[in-house]
Amino acid sequence: MPLCIEPVQSQSKEIKGETMSGRVIVITSGKGGVGKTTTNANIGTALARAGKKVVMIDTDLGLRNLDLLLGLENRIVYTIVDVVEERCKLKQALVKDKKNPNLCLLAAAQTRDKTAVTEEQLKNICEELKKDFDFILVDCPAGIEQGFQNAVAGASEAIVVTTPEMSAVRDADRIIGLLEAREEIKSYKLLLNRVRPNLIKSNDMMSVDDVVEILSADLIGIIPEDTGIITSTNKGEPIVNDEKSLAGQAYNNVARRIIGEDVPFLNLEEDNSVLGKVKKFFSGLMGKEK
Amino acid sequence: MKDIFTDFYNTILGFFRQTEKKEENAKDVACNRLRVVLMQDRTNLTPELLQRMRQELIELLSKYVEMDKEALELNFEQEGNQMALMLSIPVLRAKEESEIEEAEEKEFLEDETDEKTLSEEKSDEEIEDETADCDEASEEENSEENSSEEDESVEVDAEDKEKAEK
Repeated sequence: MPLCIEPVQSQSKEIKGETMSGRVIVITSGKGGVGKTTTNANIGTALARAGKKVVMIDTDLGLRNLDLLLGLENRIVYTIVDVVEERCKLKQALVKDKKNPNLCLLAAAQTRDKTAVTEEQLKNICEELKKDFDFILVDCPAGIEQGFQNAVAGASEAIVVTTPEMSAVRDADRIIGLLEAREEIKSYKLLLNRVRPNLIKSNDMMSVDDVVEILSADLIGIIPEDTGIITSTNKGEPIVNDEKSLAGQAYNNVARRIIGEDVPFLNLEEDNSVLGKVKKFFSGLMGKEK
Repeated sequence: MKDIFTDFYNTILGFFRQTEKKEENAKDVACNRLRVVLMQDRTNLTPELLQRMRQELIELLSKYVEMDKEALELNFEQEGNQMALMLSIPVLRAKEESEIEEAEEKEFLEDETDEKTLSEEKSDEEIEDETADCDEASEEENSEENSSEEDESVEVDAEDKEKAEK
């Protein structure tokens, strides 16, 4: 596994007085409901926990949700539209996370539509934020229309979120085509979400290898289906804060890969159920006899 | 004693395997359907166009080889980042040089003569062709083993198609 997304130099330690040059990563998928926003919240939180300065931009104007996943919905005063229309300064609109001072959110406006911000304006905001943050994560709306074009405008890297379902893979393929057509996107990686090892084992679901082969893209993470995601969303606390959760670990690993560490993928194939262990025991015995 | 144990293992394993068995492998169905859909998405090539291309290729190639037209396959395949158009032709036999020349002459004549005479010529040729076919068929029956050996499929990497979005 080659190192996913190149590591950044001279950013590991912040030197006061020196301007940073953060990485702008857009998180996109084409299809809705595959876990873009969840991925954004968790990778952002994981990067911040690793000591990086992170800002997340929600570009889903009119349908904002990133604030909910982070539990910040009651703290939003200004939104990205207020910044663009110069009702406030960029720094005023950044909402600090409850737990982690390294983490900020630039919320989307709930009352406006996708035309309220242009590509150029988003580019400028990203450029401005690059000076103060290590990572700028852009949460992209579903679809391939103006909202997508806006979100991609300021980014130089992309994470394409998909699930092992036909419709999600097809849409991911379309998104990859659009990303390849954009010169400013230097690299894109695939994040396979909601993977269900049991279904893959019984040949009812496409495997990780199948999806990677069909899309011929590099993988940055495999996230298992986890009911904990629902409770974490309900509580407004990203699942990476729960060390025991498998999905949380997987997201943490994605964050480490983004930073440049070489982290092996979690082994999801292991069947840990009682039936699985019994089966393994017997097939082991059979294997010896033959 | 050992036999009893193996029997026991077999029944238990058989039980577990039975519960696992599914009528159709949903994963493979999904993969195959996706591959076809993505090829259409990426190339913007409709099934009708593909059919036309296939027909024209048959016409062109039958000048040089005699082939199983029904079994000819024209498919997209993915090779890394690139799409390749794979043409698989089951060849019955290669045509003699004289036959090829004949066909070329025919083409030349067809170009020169007007449509009326052309249709007359064709009807004459069809009769000739039919008799020729009969002879060949009897020959092929005699040498069935040989023909199966000759029936090699030629894979032609006809054309590299880059992703439509590139």
